Amino acid sequence: MSIVEIQGLTFSFSRKEDPVIYDFSFSMEKGEIVGILGPSGSGKSTLLRLISGLEMPNKGTIHIAGTTVVSEGVFIQPENRGVGMVFQDYALFPHMTVKDNILFGLSHLPRKQRKSRVDEMLELVQMETFGERYPHELSGGQQQRIALARALAPKPNVLLMDEPFSNLDANLKESIREELGGILNKANMTCIMVTHDRNDVEAICGRSIVLGKMSVVK
Amino acid sequence: MRAELIKRNLKKEFNGWWIISIVGAVVILLPILVIFSSIVQEPNENWLHIRQYLLKNYVTNTVLLVVMTAILTAILGVTLAWLIAAYDFPLKRFFRWGLMLPLSIPTFIAAYTYRTMLGYTGVVQTTLRNHFDYQMNPELLTVSGIGGAVFIFTLFLFPYVYMITRAFLENQSTSYIENARLLGRGPFAVFFRIVLPLSRPAIIGGVVLVIYEVLGDYGVTSLLGIHTISTAIFQTWFGMYDVDSAMRLAAWLMVIIVGMFLFERLLRQRRRYHVSNKSRPLVPVKLTGMAGIAAFMYCGVVFLIGFLIPFIQLIAWAKMTFHKVWDTSFFTLLYQTVYVAVISTMIILILAVVVANVCRSHSSLSFILSKCVTSGYSIPGPIIAIGVLAMFIALDKWLAPLYSSMGLGKAPLILSLSLVMLIVGYCIRFMATGFNAIEVGFEKVGTKYAEASRMLGLGKTRTFFKVDLPLIKGSLISGFILTFVEICKELPLALLLRPFNFETLATKTYQYANDEQIHEASISSLLIIAISIVSVIIIQMIGKRVKQ
Repeated sequence: MSIVEIQGLTFSFSRKEDPVIYDFSFSMEKGEIVGILGPSGSGKSTLLRLISGLEMPNKGTIHIAGTTVVSEGVFIQPENRGVGMVFQDYALFPHMTVKDNILFGLSHLPRKQRKSRVDEMLELVQMETFGERYPHELSGGQQQRIALARALAPKPNVLLMDEPFSNLDANLKESIREELGGILNKANMTCIMVTHDRNDVEAICGRSIVLGKMSVVK
Repeated sequence: MRAELIKRNLKKEFNGWWIISIVGAVVILLPILVIFSSIVQEPNENWLHIRQYLLKNYVTNTVLLVVMTAILTAILGVTLAWLIAAYDFPLKRFFRWGLMLPLSIPTFIAAYTYRTMLGYTGVVQTTLRNHFDYQMNPELLTVSGIGGAVFIFTLFLFPYVYMITRAFLENQSTSYIENARLLGRGPFAVFFRIVLPLSRPAIIGGVVLVIYEVLGDYGVTSLLGIHTISTAIFQTWFGMYDVDSAMRLAAWLMVIIVGMFLFERLLRQRRRYHVSNKSRPLVPVKLTGMAGIAAFMYCGVVFLIGFLIPFIQLIAWAKMTFHKVWDTSFFTLLYQTVYVAVISTMIILILAVVVANVCRSHSSLSFILSKCVTSGYSIPGPIIAIGVLAMFIALDKWLAPLYSSMGLGKAPLILSLSLVMLIVGYCIRFMATGFNAIEVGFEKVGTKYAEASRMLGLGKTRTFFKVDLPLIKGSLISGFILTFVEICKELPLALLLRPFNFETLATKTYQYANDEQIHEASISSLLIIAISIVSVIIIQMIGKRVKQ
């Protein structure tokens, strides 16, 4: 069974404008990592926002893990979709420590489990000693790893990543890319990653989609 | 199918936040709608008398005051803004800040101070008589009538134009001005051909604020004996006890305001004002010799007349009456002012936070909502007061069966004789002050943190308390202080809507001045000025933070 299934998705920012995404269909299996490529304005980030529930489509349906999250008569709020997201600029809460950032999405767990889950996540991203730091005290690469840990902590059905390497310099990018691929595989995470760099896709993703031309590239 | 889609979209957007916002907007708009509804009702005899003999005079005076003040504040505000933004001269850094201070003196305090100071028994004429043996024509210096009111309004309201225009010139106009200079044009051509036309939206923005103040004024015009629509609203209400006619007058005033806006839109229609995208600070040109002295003198004279002289005069009077005024009743006055201001500010901020959070979606519906809740700022205090009163009287009538079942009598006026009415009036009038401060906070934070929180499983309300609220704390505090200060200074609403025997600093000051106890009015005046200076400092600090 597909973990994400999209059918006939259409979205435009206003009625007057042409749709950014038109009649888009797609599906992916559990554990797959799919890259989304395309030029600026082709609707890559918008597609992630539609899957996560931050935007509402004009038409089409989206199913996640067998549940319809959006269709003509259904709209499930973002917080109830079981989707994790790593934002382009990470969006780590500046008024919380690293630990509190990761704890943030674990309020549904019993207290003891929360703590062990935070430790587990910090270990996964190899940042065990950084728990008490604030986001501004971390480097770009460290911030990215914490953002990933925070998104993975609640065990989402699918992880969405919006240009995860765009804020990193070229030297750092390569090593972090490898690291990220390793972490995602270790966590057996289903992931959709938006990028404009084909190298990112080749390094991490099993397959890719090019938006803007409405074609799927294997 | 279509109905399902609408239902789905409503489900996404509409929640408790929207419902509270819509209820707030309705409460704010209701008094204004009540005013307009009075136009279609049958007029009474009083109104026929007012319309036949008095209305023309009220409208003429109001329009005269508005037009003359608008022109003079524009001239004073723009020239000072240009000098400060584009040139360097002695004490310029001081004047940059100091020229905002006249705004901290409420116009009615300035009016009674100048009227007394320049009058026959005032310090100017007595000094000339006693020390220089010069007997001058007392009429020559008298601050009275329309001329006097225009003098007061211009000198104490010009900072609105000055502040907005200066901010625009300092940051937005650099490339155009530099280009004009490079094309070989002199300072006058740059000012008249580039600066004036470019800064027109900023100038109009400032002048519109001045006009709101003049239209809503009661203190200056009543102290100087000018009949305007605002003073007439008071007289018909308190003199004739005729709320219906007062409402009709308020409706007339609203017609003038709407007309003014349409006129301004008409003027602007074909022009477009583009502002350069890259904002770079304007590098000031150093003025030397006579030019530098002239600039210094110009700013200095305005600062002296607009702030320092009346301020020193008030201190002198306060010293004379301190022992008499500074007693327990004065502390009661302070307590009452702070009490009503704190409650109103809290309500304003809670509603402002809810509405501003809803408006982050930037939909056309949220735009309309934000315009509705902030509409009170462009409506003069007397209009809001009469609308609120009419609304509360109707509410009391509606609640009469409930009152009688509670054993409170057959048709008592409970709400319309309580402090609730004044608090509602303040909330309508000053919602924009709180809302704007919080909106700026939300804009600075953006939506990414809230979105991240929602992706981590928290709903809109929990996201607000755990993520948004800590991040907009600073804006919340500055919004609180600015709104609190505005309420402490406010006069017309407090005069019209306060319950019996309830005084605020502003109403007490006005009463002293109206009873010719000018010296006694000085201590409360100084307190109001001190509170206002705090707000000027905060505006300055916010400005600096935004720049950083």
